[in-house]
Amino acid sequence: MMRNPHGLRRRSLLTGASAAAVLAAAAACGDDGPAGTADDPIEISFEWWGDATRAEITKEAIALFEQKNTGIKVKTNFADFPAYWEGMTGRMASQDLPDVFQMDYSRLRQFGSTGLLLPLEGVVKTDDFREGFLETAKLDGKLIAVPAAGNTLGLIYRADWFEAHGVTPPAPGYSWDQYKADIATVTAGLGGGKWGGGDWAGQYHFMELWLRQQGGSFYTEDGKELAFDQAKLAEWWQTTADLYAAGDVPPVETTIEWTEGGLVQDLLASEIGWDNFMPGSAPVVEENGGTLALAAPPSLDPANLGLYLKPSMQLVISAATEQAEASAKLIDFLLGDPEAVKILGTNRGIPATNAGLENVELDPYAQAVLDYEASVSQYLTTPPPAPPAATGAVEVKFGELYQQVQYGEMTPADAAELFFTEAATLLANEQ
Amino acid sequence: MSASPSTTAPPAATGAEAPPAGGSRGAAKRRTPISRRGERLVGYTFMTPWIIGSLVFTVGPMLWSLYLSFTDYHLLLGGEFIGVENYTAMLDDPMFARAVKVTLMYVLLAVPLKLVASLAVAMLLTQSRRGIGFYRAAFYMPSLIAMSVGIAIVWKALFAGGGPQDQFMSWFGWEGGGFIGNPSVSILMLVLLSVWTFGAPMVIFMAGLLQVPGELHEAAEVDGAGRWHRFVHITIPMLSPVIFFNVLMETVHAFQLFGPAFIIGGTAGGPAWSTLFYTVRIYALAFVDLRMGYASAWAWVLVLAVGVVTLVMFRAAKNLVYYAGEDNR
Repeated sequence: MMRNPHGLRRRSLLTGASAAAVLAAAAACGDDGPAGTADDPIEISFEWWGDATRAEITKEAIALFEQKNTGIKVKTNFADFPAYWEGMTGRMASQDLPDVFQMDYSRLRQFGSTGLLLPLEGVVKTDDFREGFLETAKLDGKLIAVPAAGNTLGLIYRADWFEAHGVTPPAPGYSWDQYKADIATVTAGLGGGKWGGGDWAGQYHFMELWLRQQGGSFYTEDGKELAFDQAKLAEWWQTTADLYAAGDVPPVETTIEWTEGGLVQDLLASEIGWDNFMPGSAPVVEENGGTLALAAPPSLDPANLGLYLKPSMQLVISAATEQAEASAKLIDFLLGDPEAVKILGTNRGIPATNAGLENVELDPYAQAVLDYEASVSQYLTTPPPAPPAATGAVEVKFGELYQQVQYGEMTPADAAELFFTEAATLLANEQ
Repeated sequence: MSASPSTTAPPAATGAEAPPAGGSRGAAKRRTPISRRGERLVGYTFMTPWIIGSLVFTVGPMLWSLYLSFTDYHLLLGGEFIGVENYTAMLDDPMFARAVKVTLMYVLLAVPLKLVASLAVAMLLTQSRRGIGFYRAAFYMPSLIAMSVGIAIVWKALFAGGGPQDQFMSWFGWEGGGFIGNPSVSILMLVLLSVWTFGAPMVIFMAGLLQVPGELHEAAEVDGAGRWHRFVHITIPMLSPVIFFNVLMETVHAFQLFGPAFIIGGTAGGPAWSTLFYTVRIYALAFVDLRMGYASAWAWVLVLAVGVVTLVMFRAAKNLVYYAGEDNR
């Protein structure tokens, strides 16, 4: 019956191959799994958002981790913020999340409420976090993340330009009106394509700050609705209208093309922003011959700055992981190992653990951030509960609609009305 | 996509190369019915990868999205059947009107401009000149790379404020800055990108032009017809099946423009929703807002709209397209 020897050989080859595949699969799915030794290491994946600098130091820290834990291999990957979340959203749907990954406070509920994150109580070390920090890693009382670092809002400004144009350095309790006047002064002084400050009205975080200064919040306590009305939003979107009309803040036609940001591109004298961004921009500004400084953001009420300490980023473990122990080890290492802390520095923000804080090497800028946080510590209030799952989309919509206002395509009132319709749909969509 | 239309294009003039097919098929069937069946089986066997591929990756997902369009499916939370609610909600959605407006504007600008450009260049390139092969390749080149991410990024740089376009136009008194930041003209960036990539219709036009019988032109010339008259009364009618094919393909493609629009304008169709193409909005609804059900309804409305447009075109073509060799004009 050997009419076709090739066919037979092919068949036996196929049989062999499939047998091998079955064996390999059995080995992979076996009770023991990888032994976690140098020859048969456990593999976990770790992903984050950020730039090349962050990738370089993170990989350096990972190499050290693998050296200290010979049985564990870490597969890494990173992308910039929007691409990272677009990718994660798709993978969230297909249940294909990395073992360990970087989480943003605004997305915590979206991931956490659908059971995609491993509860971390008793899994990772939780005894060494700075006070109050761990609260923001809980969702409805359950710990599902750990803060990697923290930040808070501040006013990042060019001390040299402010001084050159006779503007007093901002101090806590500085009013919005004063800030507007100062922007106008600096813009007039700088002249020609440089501005005293940026338009702040398109950022939902800044509106949240402004609402908190009035005792309000962006979302209701249960996160199901917006906690302000259309008139309030229209009012917020007009806080920069006169500056914008006068050309004291850069027009949207210009800012839409900025790739690195006004401060770094030597075009902007001040910006409300997250304080941990300052050390990132400061070296470039210094090369441009300037000095960056940090101050408290402007406020409506000198006694209430609306500030809170927010985790700038968190680390989480996927609920689907098969290697919870190794994943937890990695997190403990990144946050608490003295050498790792030294390598990672303040790239992700001021470390969230005491061990991190003691061991991190602070350059003058990082020190300035720490000093700033100390200077406003008496103003820090309770963080809002983790925002609703739709926050990411709501934030995008907020920016889009404000852009309509900037281009004069919509009035603030019309844009506010549309925002409320869209936000209601998005919030209802998550319930 | 870039290579296949030249093979699937209807020939400009149906030649007499194929004998009537019916007779020979009948004869074959009578002769060897069993081996025919075997052949068919072999044929289908060879096609299985593609049949499976299109079932799994095209037909299946399409049917699934049709189902989703009747649910309030959330990418993570799942959803329930809600009937036609998604479709009625679209009527009240201000973004729907926006996206339709942007997309229609693009189709109406890009398709005619691209076809005129490609026909003009095709006419230049069908002349017999030295080095014509080089020019043909050079003009075809852009269409090979145009839909790539790289070109979209180059485009962004070309049309930035202070970029080449801004500088060039400001010599002529333009004060609108770069197209990137200017919502009233930003769509032109994408129109120009589309016009620049006229390679595929150009090749088809060239094939059509080369089929126009030379003796028609010669006869008309003898009768004293000028270049323009010959173009209008000979070239255009003889080319009409090819023109129809190109109009159809380009229109259908234009409705589906996504990649460059997404890279240049982002999910928000910036600046100020001026590049909020229908497909971009579908993407944003599905992957930013996670409203899969609603996004699917949007997608199916696009399918229907493109279908209707195609049908209308076929109807119109009955009176406008001249097939040489057919008398029922």
